[in-house]
Amino acid sequence: MRRALRRLRGRRRRVLTAAALTAAAGLAVGVAGTVGFSLATGYDRAAQRTDQPDVLGRFAPQRLSVLRERLDRLPNVEAISYRLEVNRVRLAANGQSKRNGAVHVVRPGRRGYGVVAGRDLGSRAGEALVERGVAEEWKLQVGDRIDVGGLGSLRIAGIALSVDNVAFPLATVPRIYVSEAEISRRFGADANPGVNLALVWLADPSRLDITLAAARPAVFGLRTEQLLTKRAVRQVIDQAAGIVIALLAVFGLVACACAGVMLAAASAAEVRRRAPALGVQRALGATRGAVVGDETLDAVLVAAPAAALGLGVGALAAAGPTANLLGFLNEVAPGSALLWPLAGAFAGLVTVAAAGAAWPAWRLNRKAVSELLRGGDLATGPAKRRRVPSGGLFGLGARFAFARRGRWTSTISALAVAGAAMLLVLAVADLLVSLRDDPGTLGRRYALTVPGEQRDARTIARIPGVAAAAQRSTVEAADSFSLTEPLRVIAYPGDHVPFEAPPLAEGRRLAADGEVEVGLGLADTLGLRPGSELAIQPAGSGELRFRVVGIVRALENDGRVVYARTARLRDADPSLGGPIAIRLASGADRADVVRRLDAAGFESSATGGATPRNRSFLGVLASVLRAVALAIGLVCLAAILQTLALTTRDRRRALAVMRATGAPPGALAAVLTGTAAALIVPAVVLAVLLQRFVLGPIVAELAASYATLPLGVGATGILLVGGGLAAIGAVAVLVVTRAATREPVAAGIERDD
Amino acid sequence: MLDGVDLDLMPGELVAVVGPSGSGKSTLLHLAGGLDLPEAGEVEVAGERLSGRSDAELARLRARHVGFVFQAFHLVAELSGEENVRLAARFGTRDAADRVAALIDAVDLRAVARSLPAQLSGGEQQRFAVARALVNDPTVILADEPTGNLDARSGATVLDLLRRSTDSGRAVLVVTHDPAVTARADRVLRLHDGSLA
Repeated sequence: MRRALRRLRGRRRRVLTAAALTAAAGLAVGVAGTVGFSLATGYDRAAQRTDQPDVLGRFAPQRLSVLRERLDRLPNVEAISYRLEVNRVRLAANGQSKRNGAVHVVRPGRRGYGVVAGRDLGSRAGEALVERGVAEEWKLQVGDRIDVGGLGSLRIAGIALSVDNVAFPLATVPRIYVSEAEISRRFGADANPGVNLALVWLADPSRLDITLAAARPAVFGLRTEQLLTKRAVRQVIDQAAGIVIALLAVFGLVACACAGVMLAAASAAEVRRRAPALGVQRALGATRGAVVGDETLDAVLVAAPAAALGLGVGALAAAGPTANLLGFLNEVAPGSALLWPLAGAFAGLVTVAAAGAAWPAWRLNRKAVSELLRGGDLATGPAKRRRVPSGGLFGLGARFAFARRGRWTSTISALAVAGAAMLLVLAVADLLVSLRDDPGTLGRRYALTVPGEQRDARTIARIPGVAAAAQRSTVEAADSFSLTEPLRVIAYPGDHVPFEAPPLAEGRRLAADGEVEVGLGLADTLGLRPGSELAIQPAGSGELRFRVVGIVRALENDGRVVYARTARLRDADPSLGGPIAIRLASGADRADVVRRLDAAGFESSATGGATPRNRSFLGVLASVLRAVALAIGLVCLAAILQTLALTTRDRRRALAVMRATGAPPGALAAVLTGTAAALIVPAVVLAVLLQRFVLGPIVAELAASYATLPLGVGATGILLVGGGLAAIGAVAVLVVTRAATREPVAAGIERDD
Repeated sequence: MLDGVDLDLMPGELVAVVGPSGSGKSTLLHLAGGLDLPEAGEVEVAGERLSGRSDAELARLRARHVGFVFQAFHLVAELSGEENVRLAARFGTRDAADRVAALIDAVDLRAVARSLPAQLSGGEQQRFAVARALVNDPTVILADEPTGNLDARSGATVLDLLRRSTDSGRAVLVVTHDPAVTARADRVLRLHDGSLA
């Protein structure tokens, strides 16, 4: 060990360079690992910490005794807690207010939420818990006060976390908890507000189906709005973060691949450079194993502290934005649990560096000692003529790149994956914008809505610029056979295609009152195909049955939608209403139509997209995407810089001879530009293909298997990524050329190190 | 390394510098060609001082006035013999490229002009290296052991080329251990412990 440290001290500058490269690789892996691991495991941690129930049942308000009588006899139940959820309550605190707040009246028993600050509700009067999202958005702390409609001012005793939904403001409803005792104190002991939520914990969660099967007849006759399982909750939350997680997984792959390539190439180059020194050791009697062992030990001694530093800084840098994102999803940061994956990444990085040194040292040591003393190279046999156009100085640079076929292949592979990931980031950013702003992304063809009845539609259809108008009704319902599966029915009096036409994946369009088209998300969940029967239970009415004739790729409500005609729904619920959807004529001026609607007494609204309009969430999402793109760009810069630096190291003598024969610094830059172009041009082509045929489809499928996400590659994206890589290449060429021309020409000619 | 060295090269003169290893022969060549700069003293090539010049100015000066020949040839491995000569011509005057074909004929390498260095013999490589040194029609050629890695016959051919290059008034400074070179030199200088004798 002491000898190894002495060896390293003897080549301090090169050791520092290798350490910096390893730290850069560690940084990339640290960022990717932290974000990826935190998001992948955040839900499970939060569910455990908050004691999330296995099933959450929502009912119309009932007397507690009615629900108890039916649910207490369910099999496989460990515990049940009941709550009353009161909606549309005005909440105000710290200068902020909302009229659509939810107050959960909590009874004694298991809570189903975790207290992350302060304490739980107790016997003290005038106290409430606020949800973490509300506390953070409204900047509330324990001890502050919150005004609650009907209850007055309450002291905040604690901050609660519950994972049955994403957090406020991503979920639009702010939530607080108060105790049943508080209600009794305010309204008297005789006040019996009832309950409408049942939180069910199972003795054996893997036997959920048995409990659900028994629950269906048990709750028959009650107005059941929803039975949500833990799995369904997770699905909802995962879909909110699906694209981000998929992107970060890709980024993690890119970062690890690039880090591996960078480390292995740097270690191998260092060993090659030291070939004569290895020859001397062999000549003095060292065995091949001892020489390889020395080189490996040196690599480990350099890589270990550098990798630890890089990983630590990367993890710290990513921790803040990741915690913000987890906060929006009501999830919990990993804390010390992150140490395990980081330890794995540390071991991986050190192993790559050690293997990168050991393998070329082993190969070099198979050569004769005399060859090593002459600076033996790993390349075997004489150089062969490559079919590369001469192309002057650029062509020479390209030939330098191609001469190291292994390095060239690994570098363009890393750059191609990085470029594809950048194209993906751009495509996702475009998609987010269009989901937010462009109703066409959802297959919606109507541009405006106005409140009204179907009879108004005929009047509106006569307004110039309007192509069609019809009442659009939506009904929230559940599948009759599996009450855990909520769905949305969208109904028009006639043909829905003129107003919204999500692409047909299978079957045909509906043509009769008893037929429906279902979204792919719902079809996958319930196993529906054209010809299947769909039985649904709309909230507050009896069962309705339809024949499925088509499956559509719809983004709305995560693909859990049903397109139907209004007639049967209206038979079940005569009060069924909805706004009038207005499709504009081709070339019509929307503003002009809006003016004409105004004049006719109809107040119109523009049709929007589907993603949460919450600016904060989109802001966090955008900053994560920007950070990912920046990190990928830095990885690309490091990869190109390293390849150019290794090329100038390998070609030190050739470049020195060029300078001796009169080549100015610009000529060297031209050669290195050729080398960079030989890396970047094929990498961009590969990146486009990779994104188009591999990453795009995979991410689209991961993010929304129920719809067709337009994650294609546009000309702008290609130009941006190609231009970005070219700019990164130009920076790398400038840096390396400056370093190369700083050395005296004679030094490059005389020595080979 | 060098101490009190005072050397003038005259046009058309071939000067050989001999001396033991480590005496500073190669350093003398590097200083003369502006590959290294002296800590003290002055170097002039074709009447132009080298000190105080930027890297780009030194490169221009070398392209116009200096040609190098190295013991280990130092051809670029990825370029053919002819391409190596053309590469040097890029940095010289516009008519340098026109001289490439004639020079390759002059060194009798037309048949192997498109071969890579690894496919050439040592003598052929060194002849291409001489053609590379001559392509920009330099004022002076600086040759570091040009026959050191060659057999006697190839060495003689290379020496002929260097000798003939002085006919047009060019100066040649050769660092050598080869008696055949000193025998054909106009002057032979001995370098010992950094001083010329």
